[in-house]
Amino acid sequence: MSETTSVTNRIPGSRRYWYVGLGALMITWPIIFGNFWARIGVGALMWIGLAQSWNMIGGYAGYLDFGHGAYFGIGAFAAGIAMVQFGYPFVVGFALAIVVSIAISYLVAVPTLRLTGAYFAIATWAFAEAVKQAALITGITGGTFGLSLPRSPDTFIGVALPFQIGETFFYYAMLMLCMATMSLTYYLFERHEFGYRVKALRDDQDAAESLGIDTTRVKRQVYVLSCVVAAVFGSVHAWYIVYIHPNDVLATIITDRMVIMALLGGLGTLTGPVVGGLLVFLLQRLSSVFLGSTTFYLPLIGILIMITVLFAPSGIIGILRGEIDRNDVRQNVKDLGEKFNLL
Amino acid sequence: MVNIGLFTQIVINGLLLGGIYVTIGVGFSLAFGVLEVVDFAVGEYVMIGAFTGALLTPLLGAEGVFVIPIVLISFFALGALIQPMIHHVTTGDRPHPLLMGLVFTFGLATLLRGSVLSIFGPNNRDVPSSLLTGGVEISGVGTFPVVRTVTAVFGVSALVVFMYYLYRTTGGMAIRAIAEDRTNARLMGININRYQSIAYGAYAALTGSAGVFIGMTFTANPGMGLQYTAFAFFMVVLAGMGYLPGVIVAGIVLGLTQSFTAVYISGNLVLLVLFAIIYVVLLISPAGILGRGEWAT
Repeated sequence: MSETTSVTNRIPGSRRYWYVGLGALMITWPIIFGNFWARIGVGALMWIGLAQSWNMIGGYAGYLDFGHGAYFGIGAFAAGIAMVQFGYPFVVGFALAIVVSIAISYLVAVPTLRLTGAYFAIATWAFAEAVKQAALITGITGGTFGLSLPRSPDTFIGVALPFQIGETFFYYAMLMLCMATMSLTYYLFERHEFGYRVKALRDDQDAAESLGIDTTRVKRQVYVLSCVVAAVFGSVHAWYIVYIHPNDVLATIITDRMVIMALLGGLGTLTGPVVGGLLVFLLQRLSSVFLGSTTFYLPLIGILIMITVLFAPSGIIGILRGEIDRNDVRQNVKDLGEKFNLL
Repeated sequence: MVNIGLFTQIVINGLLLGGIYVTIGVGFSLAFGVLEVVDFAVGEYVMIGAFTGALLTPLLGAEGVFVIPIVLISFFALGALIQPMIHHVTTGDRPHPLLMGLVFTFGLATLLRGSVLSIFGPNNRDVPSSLLTGGVEISGVGTFPVVRTVTAVFGVSALVVFMYYLYRTTGGMAIRAIAEDRTNARLMGININRYQSIAYGAYAALTGSAGVFIGMTFTANPGMGLQYTAFAFFMVVLAGMGYLPGVIVAGIVLGLTQSFTAVYISGNLVLLVLFAIIYVVLLISPAGILGRGEWAT
């Protein structure tokens, strides 16, 4: 393919209008629909970004990181500690979240990525739980009291800004971050040579190694990248919800949600986490609005994970793209039925 | 100056706790050996076991012990019906079958925890027992609380029965053969669906009934599962995946670690210490401290 082929050439004419319309809708969203829907938008964009960050290591590289939520919390607490304990503006906290998450994820990556499969999953899971326990007992994180972040107009860059830092501000902040994450994923994993290296090591590590790919290096790069993205969202989230507590921002359910969003949408695809993220986030929101229960989405998420893995392992994207049709699902059901032949 | 009386009492408590942890660890290790899947739902079986105890005890004359046979049978059936699904997701034509198995049990754990949390709320519940109260004091050694002693005795005897089945009967031989090599076991004419279900059902039954005893010793809480998942991981990581004798040692080490950390350092640090040990052991010796376990991929 020639270098001059631009993105617009690859999008068919009729679809181009859809993309333009979608872009316009996303930009004008908080203006048209107001604060309530802006709030929904902030959450949806954040979870799409987080699901994509998990998809980098879990989907593209095939390393199931069951402790990814730790970096969300680390980012949140980096911003929180910078703002509350040291009185810096948010931008410093944001930069600190990036630096700290790079440092920690690299130190974790070096030993942990030597493990594979289930051992990697258990080790990362143990790491995340240890981080949470540590955050609960140390003083700088506020321990069991948590931290309350300031949000006056001068807490962004240190000088007073002429606008309020409210829902609209955070909507555009999240939109930018989410778009940046999507573009980065598209460029690195779908277009750049890097993506082919990552997929090669996922499919067969020894074969990739024999082709001259430095798999250790590539794995570390993917892991650090995905962790930094999670931490960046964590730091903005901390400032957005103002109050952070280890039991909230370091909860196991954060990792659970990232996993199910990426899995339900389709692992190792660009659009999978978008579809899965939107669906799971709206499901959670709707269940709390209409059923009045804040925990009911947990069993729903659990059932969704199980059904997806059982019958449609390539996710919703696999169904939409036609990789899985009704016959495949039927065959899956039949195979499963045969395994119940216990006597 | 270490208080000798306190010290021996901690050792007693630790050993008694270890007895019940061994039950969980052995089932978990076996489920891994047979299905080649690391079951993230292990702690949730403990949790629903304890909850079943808390809910059924008032119907059975406020006696937690009577719940045990019901839990054994119903959890065996539950496990036997869940096994085919795990078998299905870890085999067949799909990308990364083993990782899919991991994700499936992760979903199962979320489903179990979420259902109990939604239906019964986040509060603690007691599993009352009128038979198992008080303690037997042996002078010069320490007190043996009846609940914990019976729990440990149950754990050890369940283990002995289970080991007898596994190593002295044809069915047990079939299960060990599957753990060794599933394809070859099938070629030898073993009905792998059936024996895998028996193994997974036995694991669920052991874990669930251990949960009832844990509920009697402490309390039942929807969030307790996580801790026991951590404990199970701790035991198999320490022992090496799929190496049963190592689990017995690891379970006792776990019981002792828990009671010593709680008394001499701080109760809040128990989990942190355990997670740190899991992490370090995984990095230094992934086949367990005895080096006899399997390498999982």
